[in-house]
Amino acid sequence: MKGLMKGLGVTFKNMTRKKVTSAYPDVPVEMPDRFRGIQYLDPEKCIVCFQCERICPTECLKLTGKPNPDPEKKGKVLETYDINFEICILCDLCTEVCPTEAIVMTNNFELSAYSRDDFYKNLQWLHANNTNVRKENHPAASKGGAK
Amino acid sequence: MHDLLQREMSLSLFGIFTFWAVVMLVIVLGFVTYAIYFERKILGWMQSRIGPNRVGPLGLLQTVADILKLLMKEDTIPRKADRPFFILAPIIVYVPSFAVIATIPFAENLYNANLNVGILYYAALSSISTIGIVLGGWASNNKYALLGGMRSAAQMISYEIPLVISVVGIVMMSGSLNLHTIVSQQTGGFWNWNFLPQIVGFAVFIVAAISELNRTPFDLPEAESELVAGYHVEYSGFRFAFFMLAEYVYVFALSALATVLFLGGWDAPLPFLDFIPGIFWFILKFAFFVFFLIWIRGTLPRVRIDQLMGLGWKVLLPLALVNIIITAVYMEIVK
Repeated sequence: MKGLMKGLGVTFKNMTRKKVTSAYPDVPVEMPDRFRGIQYLDPEKCIVCFQCERICPTECLKLTGKPNPDPEKKGKVLETYDINFEICILCDLCTEVCPTEAIVMTNNFELSAYSRDDFYKNLQWLHANNTNVRKENHPAASKGGAK
Repeated sequence: MHDLLQREMSLSLFGIFTFWAVVMLVIVLGFVTYAIYFERKILGWMQSRIGPNRVGPLGLLQTVADILKLLMKEDTIPRKADRPFFILAPIIVYVPSFAVIATIPFAENLYNANLNVGILYYAALSSISTIGIVLGGWASNNKYALLGGMRSAAQMISYEIPLVISVVGIVMMSGSLNLHTIVSQQTGGFWNWNFLPQIVGFAVFIVAAISELNRTPFDLPEAESELVAGYHVEYSGFRFAFFMLAEYVYVFALSALATVLFLGGWDAPLPFLDFIPGIFWFILKFAFFVFFLIWIRGTLPRVRIDQLMGLGWKVLLPLALVNIIITAVYMEIVK
């Protein structure tokens, strides 16, 4: 009997406490910085080394480069860069392997669309997607210098 | 209402009766809608979450949306099921629950019928719903439904006996089965209400009432995780809505009965508060009783079927009988 009364008291007091429900979508969700959302591309930094295309586990990255239009400079310049976002698994390997941090992840995850065509992201879209970019991009690299 | 019943029956009188019956039905349905809403809200608050809050302002239209969904579902009847009984079972469960509201007085002049055997009428009619449950379990052609129906019938029968016997103490004290007489014997403030002299009867009544209503902690027959929802597993759409409706109308009827029998009906708790109309006090006590039922639901785990039967026969029935003996002895001594 005493246990019943104590139980009733606990339930009643719990009514006055703060609720744990989060009010998404009325209140936006703050993602931590290392959250892996859709990518952001900076074509200026890209050296067209094809490492991201090689390491992508689902082969969703396709890129082409052309020789630098400026005859003075060496190296290639990015021409097209496509991510088939339907099969991108947001694993972050392209970011980890990129030597210049040209491709990084952002914190954007609200990407619903009405047609599957919208999921084939090209260079212009990826460059325009510059909100909520991740600051810390190479967490696998050891801190305090490489050994 | 009293003089209406004395008049000779005519078509216009029948029309008046039908009108008031529809009014009563609308009130009961309104109660059911918001009882379900408040149950979900209060259970949510007790579990550190908010209940429904998106459909309509503050989620007030959630039950309406749910009922609409249930009404729009396909009406499936299993092929080997016993068709006439399958269709009849929800009706048999629901009709007594609405019919018992006829005897309950809500305020001094707000009542439907002044039966001299009010309590007996209630106990008799609420037993008929048990037949509907067994019928539903049998007609579903499903062994789990049958087991659920049998368990539910066993539970309801074993708890109806302590329920009625716990009320006998009050009948002895008031000298009448008439609910109006019982309430008028309790006037004059909360120390006159029946729950104080009949505290054992009140405790037995509450436990037996929760079991009669098939609510947690005694909701084994309709638990979704035990017994796959028991006797209403094959019912979908509006037939299932009927079973749910019957359960909540019984909550209404039993809470009203508890208020009338034990908590003084429309009596104000302190005599100087008499200027507030009786119906307000009735609604307040009634709401407290329904809140208590929801509170118990949020607090206690489910009881196993053998523990349930043991509790009914070995604890409640002797307690109710002891209550009668003590009341009889006390009345002899005081007289």
